[in-house]
Amino acid sequence: MLSVLHVKKSFGPVPAVRDVSFEIERGATFGLLGPNGAGKTTTMRMILGILTADEGSITWNGTRIDGRMRRRFGYLPEERGLYAKMKVREQIAFFGRLHGMTEPAITERTDYWIAHLRLQEYAKRPAGELSKGNQQKVQVACCAVHEPELLVLDEPFSGLDPVNAETLMSTLKELQSRGTTLVLSSHQMWQLEELCTRFCIISDGENRAAGTLAELRAAWPTRVLRVEPGSSAVEAVLQTVPGAHRLGSQEGRLDYQVPANADFPGTLRALVSAEAVTRFESIEPSLQDVYLRAIGAAA
Amino acid sequence: MNEFVTVFSAEVTRRVKSRPFLIGLVIGLLVIAGMIRAPALLGAAFSQELKQIVLTGSPQMLARAKLLLEKDFNVELQPAAPQTPTLSYLQHHHNAGALVRLQATGKQLHVTVHTRDLSSFPKSTLEEDLAPLNLALATASSQAVIDKSMNVPITVVGVNSKFGNEAASKAAEGIAFTLLFFLYISILLNSQLIMTSVAEEKTSRIAELLIASVNPSALLAGKIAAAAVMAIIQMASWLVVGFLLSPHAGTSAASQSVMGLSGASTAITPLDIFAFIAFFILGYLQLSTLFAGLASLINRTEDIGSLSGPLVFPVVGAFFLAIYALNSPGSMLVTVTSFIPILAPFVMFARVAVSNVPLWQFILSLLINTAAVWLIALAAGKIYRVGMMLYGRPPKLKQIWATLRT
Repeated sequence: MLSVLHVKKSFGPVPAVRDVSFEIERGATFGLLGPNGAGKTTTMRMILGILTADEGSITWNGTRIDGRMRRRFGYLPEERGLYAKMKVREQIAFFGRLHGMTEPAITERTDYWIAHLRLQEYAKRPAGELSKGNQQKVQVACCAVHEPELLVLDEPFSGLDPVNAETLMSTLKELQSRGTTLVLSSHQMWQLEELCTRFCIISDGENRAAGTLAELRAAWPTRVLRVEPGSSAVEAVLQTVPGAHRLGSQEGRLDYQVPANADFPGTLRALVSAEAVTRFESIEPSLQDVYLRAIGAAA
Repeated sequence: MNEFVTVFSAEVTRRVKSRPFLIGLVIGLLVIAGMIRAPALLGAAFSQELKQIVLTGSPQMLARAKLLLEKDFNVELQPAAPQTPTLSYLQHHHNAGALVRLQATGKQLHVTVHTRDLSSFPKSTLEEDLAPLNLALATASSQAVIDKSMNVPITVVGVNSKFGNEAASKAAEGIAFTLLFFLYISILLNSQLIMTSVAEEKTSRIAELLIASVNPSALLAGKIAAAAVMAIIQMASWLVVGFLLSPHAGTSAASQSVMGLSGASTAITPLDIFAFIAFFILGYLQLSTLFAGLASLINRTEDIGSLSGPLVFPVVGAFFLAIYALNSPGSMLVTVTSFIPILAPFVMFARVAVSNVPLWQFILSLLINTAAVWLIALAAGKIYRVGMMLYGRPPKLKQIWATLRT
């Protein structure tokens, strides 16, 4: 388990992380969300020991993270780079070696990642000659070649075209299935929603919300009630629901925002008695809704 | 250790293939041929004439000789001077460069010069100035006698010198100059290569990936060690080519005049070779570590020049001080700077090569400079760890100072 407890980090007089805490079960996929400057990258760097926390503790399986342990981790930084003149294959193998791998495992894993990421035709070419998307794939291979226990990816989908984004998504799912603990940050909410089992939203260096998507949704104070047909009889019933607020009507349906603790069965009974209702749906908030609300609360 | 070996081997491979290294190696080799004879020429240009002399001999001869010598020398007459003067004797007589003893044997003038600097004493000037005196001593007036009298036999003897004769002293100076040149070029070139390498890793943004994978100290140490190996290969290549291209190549004299490894008349002693290797390593470690640490503060490769400029000046200064030291190894400036880090690797080596440096001074300089390597590594390591993660505006001196204090 990765445990991040009340970590703080300042750069001179500027606080980058004020108080961030979360825990990640081994093998889980965790989404760290927040706007630019929220402290995500600093938190990730502290997890990897690149930066030292001013206060708080970061442990892996109950042990403080040291240099030896760090070699079992992988990191894909937001700002990516490669040795432009080093060949793709050599580059991946070099990072394998840096993480303590030895032959023949290096060759075997390098071959695997080159094939998996469809980089065969570029394997003997200098990395600088590759397109940005292919360079990003090489970087993914570099950080995953040693089969890390914990892989931290800072904005992994940034700059990828849909095809490469899909390739990365399937790669991450494969790592997930092998039991790799993943920590991701991204502004692409749908990708995180698909991958992550737990989330932490931070803003201004502090926790704003944390939990599974279900837990985050449960804490959401309202729901959207979608009813068809959007007739005046239906509208009249919905207006009687305490705290209800009309959002709009479209394509013959009516959307109302109602409190999360509204009497949904009672409302449905009233609607059925007033109109031949063909649709009655309580829409859960999306991760984006939760995120925006958390960030808005911080603003 | 594995991290170190991995970084080390990757660095060596990259550097062997790098264009700056290959160009530096080739240009260096081409320059060597021209440099083979440069020491004597440059040595003459830089030599300081030893104008203050103490003149001794019979009173009658001294008065006449003084008149002849005054246009070129500052002469102090000492009719009663010791047979073999010490260095302190010369120092007590206006810091004289030499004691010149005049003796008349029959109709021939004999001159013995006891000088503190065998290689630089202006023997030919003395010979020309004293020729009329020698002529006056001759009784016969035939042209043959006059011709003979124009040649004043002068014997030059060193005072507190490590060399037995003038030729060995000049050879040592030439060899020391050549080695100093190698030292200078190799240290400067490879330190700048390290700076470029660090700056490239930072500007290409691979630095963060590296630091997440490997201890920054191991990363820095691996890079510096790899560059050191490259520097040694480069220097060894230059020395070998220099040896092969030297005029005496293939003769036993060549091995003595260029490498000076053995033989009674050898110009360079094992201590000199040890000093060269030791100060090369110390100088290289001091500068390359400093260059690497500061390179981590660069955000754009274009900034390398502006940052390396101020770092190069002390090295250039040290090189010129060392050349000065070849001619004036005993001067106060040379003695003091032979202990100061960055300068000492050049100046102390020059002193050791051409004079008898007290052992305690040699050891003290080694200790001071070893401690300096440690301190510079400590400071550069801190700057490197922080600097590699620092993007945006270059840090201010205040921020660098704060980093060093943490």
